[in-house]
Amino acid sequence: MNSRPVLASLIATLAATSFLLAAEPDLHRGKPDIWGVWLGTGGYPDIDPRYRNTPWPTVEFTAWGAAESKRLTTPETPDECMPYGPHAYMAGGSLFPFEIVKAAKGLVLLYEPSPVPRRIYYDGRKHPEDLDPTWLGHSVGRWDGETLVVDTVGTNGRGRPLNGYVAAAVNSKTDNAPRLPVSDRLHMVERIRLVGRGEYLEDEITIDDPKTYTRSFTVKHYWQRRPDLEVLEYFCDDNRRPEAEGHTGSKP
Amino acid sequence: MKDLRRLLFLAVAVMMLGAGSAWAHHSFAMFDLEKEVTLEGVVKEFPWANPHVWLQILTPDGKGGTTEWSLEMGAPGMLTRTGWKSSMLKQGDKVTVVINPLKSGAPSGRLVRVTLPNGRVMGPGGPPPPPKPGA
Repeated sequence: MNSRPVLASLIATLAATSFLLAAEPDLHRGKPDIWGVWLGTGGYPDIDPRYRNTPWPTVEFTAWGAAESKRLTTPETPDECMPYGPHAYMAGGSLFPFEIVKAAKGLVLLYEPSPVPRRIYYDGRKHPEDLDPTWLGHSVGRWDGETLVVDTVGTNGRGRPLNGYVAAAVNSKTDNAPRLPVSDRLHMVERIRLVGRGEYLEDEITIDDPKTYTRSFTVKHYWQRRPDLEVLEYFCDDNRRPEAEGHTGSKP
Repeated sequence: MKDLRRLLFLAVAVMMLGAGSAWAHHSFAMFDLEKEVTLEGVVKEFPWANPHVWLQILTPDGKGGTTEWSLEMGAPGMLTRTGWKSSMLKQGDKVTVVINPLKSGAPSGRLVRVTLPNGRVMGPGGPPPPPKPGA
């Protein structure tokens, strides 16, 4: 049997495969291992202080921002089953984990309680100029050494505030912090990196929203690596009991 | 010791839910979080669904009939990560529950803890226990 055709076909296959690989470079090769399941440290009082979320800052509202913050301390809050905005998505709570998944064009974040995955592209693209508003906006990233820098615009401004969904007035006697909303003018910049020998993820979030605040501010939120957990299914509309749950005033 | 630690952990979780966390699905302000009521009843339903699991139990109303109580718990994921399985309760099971009752007086409340027929005490769901050191 002549082995030449087989050899030729093998070489052709290898050539085609390497061409395909070259056409689809692995954006994740050599990048920090941020993949997997993470849980916010916010609910653990005993967490190492180095990985504790920074307190909510004292902010200066615009007139619109002050009114919106006040509105969110009444039952006129966003519907609790609506998606999160990118700021609240990354607020570091401990009740639900999120998962960072490798995608062809960047990464996908799956945060259990939010019905919409968050996509961060880092294939070199820019924000489109004619962006339509969405709950999570449009996020593009780039690796700055070991840090993923993410730029987000294009939010619809309809989500819950940075510091919680529920209004202070109806939620707790002790939580009187002003709600920190964001608008459709949000420009959010994040610096995401591994800390604590790779066991924690830090997200330094700068909120620049001239419709809501007179100046930008920065908070840091932390997650702990939790390979023992899984992100589970969460379909919020399944078994809602708004009367019993006491939030009949919330609006979509 | 392990159970005690779990109970302590759940107590912290409960406090956080009451304190208005940044991530709670909704308010718990309609429940009287400073008042605890103990009820003995029979499970009618245990719908395992988001946004929150509810435990429906029937208690004697003192007039020969029953009262149905709706007891709110955490999300299914929160229950799973604190040791729950949906099969732990089924229709007809006798349970003892401790609840924060609804302020309005209606037969509803937030579940604080439930004693299962096998004697195991379970909480309402919350953040998962911290990872074991060295795990």
